[in-house]
Amino acid sequence: MILFDGKTYESSEQNRLLSQLRKKIPALLSKTLSPEVVIEAVECLREDLLAGRFDDLLTSFPKDIVETYKGQAATLLSKEHLHLKLDTELGSTKEYETEPIEGFSQIRVKKVPLGVLFHISAGNMDFLPAYSLVEGLLTGNINILKLPSADNGLSLKLIQQLIEYRPELSEYIYVFDTASTDIQGMQKMAQLSNAISVWGSDMAISAVRQLAPTGAKLIEWGQKLGFCYVSNLTEVPNADDELTALAKHIAFTKQLLCSSCQVIYVDTDDMGQVRAFAERFLPFLEKAANENASDEIGIRARDTLVAYTQSLKRIMGTESREDHVLRGRRCSLILSDDSELALSPMMCNVLVKPLPRERVGKMLYKGRYYLQTAGLICPEEDRADLAALFVQGGVTRVTRGGNMSVYFPGECHDGEYALSRYMKIVNVEV
Amino acid sequence: MNYLGRLFACKDPYDCKKDELFLNACKENFDHLITHCEDYRKICVGLGVHSSADIHKPEDIPVIPTMLMKQHDFRSGRYVVMATSSGTSGRMSHIRFEPAALKAALRMSVKVTRYHKIMSATPCRYIVMGYKPHRSNKTAVTKTAYLTTFLAPAISRKFILKHTPEGYKPDFDSIVKALGKYEKGKAPVRFMGFPSYTFFLFRILEERGLSFKLPKDSMILLGGGWKQFYQEAVDKETFYKLAKKTLNIDEENIVEFFGAVEHPILYTDCACHHFHVPVYSKVVIRDADTLEPLPMGQLGLVNLITPICKATPILSIMTDDLGILHDGSHCPCGVKSPYLEIVGRVAPDDIKTCAAGAADILKGVQV
Repeated sequence: MILFDGKTYESSEQNRLLSQLRKKIPALLSKTLSPEVVIEAVECLREDLLAGRFDDLLTSFPKDIVETYKGQAATLLSKEHLHLKLDTELGSTKEYETEPIEGFSQIRVKKVPLGVLFHISAGNMDFLPAYSLVEGLLTGNINILKLPSADNGLSLKLIQQLIEYRPELSEYIYVFDTASTDIQGMQKMAQLSNAISVWGSDMAISAVRQLAPTGAKLIEWGQKLGFCYVSNLTEVPNADDELTALAKHIAFTKQLLCSSCQVIYVDTDDMGQVRAFAERFLPFLEKAANENASDEIGIRARDTLVAYTQSLKRIMGTESREDHVLRGRRCSLILSDDSELALSPMMCNVLVKPLPRERVGKMLYKGRYYLQTAGLICPEEDRADLAALFVQGGVTRVTRGGNMSVYFPGECHDGEYALSRYMKIVNVEV
Repeated sequence: MNYLGRLFACKDPYDCKKDELFLNACKENFDHLITHCEDYRKICVGLGVHSSADIHKPEDIPVIPTMLMKQHDFRSGRYVVMATSSGTSGRMSHIRFEPAALKAALRMSVKVTRYHKIMSATPCRYIVMGYKPHRSNKTAVTKTAYLTTFLAPAISRKFILKHTPEGYKPDFDSIVKALGKYEKGKAPVRFMGFPSYTFFLFRILEERGLSFKLPKDSMILLGGGWKQFYQEAVDKETFYKLAKKTLNIDEENIVEFFGAVEHPILYTDCACHHFHVPVYSKVVIRDADTLEPLPMGQLGLVNLITPICKATPILSIMTDDLGILHDGSHCPCGVKSPYLEIVGRVAPDDIKTCAAGAADILKGVQV
């Protein structure tokens, strides 16, 4: 299904519609879209969502997840929050004149949309395609959105809803369900765009780099690996609470998010201490994993298979050796004496590795393309120093162990504000 | 003769006294795999199974999930035929067979179909509720559906899924037309293929108020799984009733097969519709959380074991199915081996993750 200027079309009409869009764009670029229109539409969406109008679309999600989503939506889609987001991410958008400096002309400075934004959205977060599009709209861009193949119709429905609330948005929204294998189709969309915002795996991103016109701005949101650093646990006064929170984070995200904890590093060189930590942590993880386990055997079996498959892939990728694994029911801790940042088998199966403070820099540099979130469990007096160490090494989010995937209003994403990446600054001589 | 040859030469396909022979055939297969497939060796060593001496029971054999076979192409020797799974979720596994495996499969098919009296000398008309073979389609289900049209001499073969420039499309109308013609003839009609299409056909006939009195000895042979059905919760009783109502085929003439490309063993339901485990394989049901073997009667992941193939390490595989292994010793059909009941499938595996994938590249990052 294609959503083009507020109307839906069959996927087979893609080529014709893209040619039509090419002709339309120049006239559209001369118009401006106020962020207030977008904010109003999103506010309507929020109200209807909370009133249960979309509940039938959410039946495929587990109930507790729906409640979590709704709770987040209540805040994130509110007018106040969207205004805060605009302020934080764009700063002042008011046009201003530079101070006169003798011998130079003055200029007017203004932030304007990039023009046409092509979003290639990933299927890793349920509302990401629609959210990415809203960010494009808030910055006044014309948006072409390629839906992820895993999309189940939810994104399209939400976007149609936005148009229903504020029909003037329709000219700024062009959604295609192109398959990722349709390189020609994606190339055409890229050729219509000023910038391409791509979420996805390294493979997806490198494919987009190849099909993008040289002049197009690439806005990449790649995959990341999160880790938690545990230092001097005996000196942490509420260590058990911290470990409980970390275990809950692992169980709740199932280690599927960029910010999820894949590896727990213990500040030591001694595998004996690594094992001692793992033995202490296992009961916490087991409790959280069991509390969070689905009642549906199909889901639990699927998670077990995913983790088992991933652990076999890990075995195939390394030299022949037996892993030292501490197993609990529905979870495990895999002890490994290398200090590399790596993907765990996920689903409450965590890697535990030694990493003395002096080798942190080396690990971070080696994993530099995949850094994002570091959780910290350490005595309060060490927190600032350790945070600084991680930030210097390239980490962009440092949180408490249990808060690795928590959303902090005002936070950036992978070191940047999305909205400012979707706008540019122009200068006009006075 | 090696252990494999002796196992597949067993006279009774449901002989319950061949456990030792079965285990020896598995060890023989394991010895081949571990020396002919580096990835398999790494997995076995990683799981603590260094040689066949570490295998004391079938459940000791390292289990390869089909989920992994869909992501990774394993090879463990020369092959003559390659088949793929149907790729319900878009990805498929590639399974290769060497001549000895094909020979064993043929011997098994002859023994099992003879036992269940599906082999017949009476010429009949086939309606294949599945794919028409085409060079672009390598799925095992196409091949096996086609092969079953040789269990009795074929007068004609009709396929419901036709290859068109836009891919495979079901053509119910031509089947309905053919049924009208076959009803007047004498030759028995044999339906073969996916339960889902067969069931849709029944529904179409019912909606149009059509029913046919097909000639005596007409049969419905079902295979390829009830995959799309778990959601719809169509029970088999409804299926049997509709078969009688729309095609005049009795329940005892409806035979279901179960198998998987990753486990090419022919499971055929008995008169009581139980899938007894034949002598060529073992079924282990594993705990959905811990993967530990479960006692009979409990629901878990289905682990299927057979030493039939050397060219691909499918000695012990874990499917996406959830099932129960029942004690078969009291089944009125006379077969004493345990029987497998498939209850459902695991949730779809299109896990949404933004962390996975990063790691594959990370391995290559050098400092």
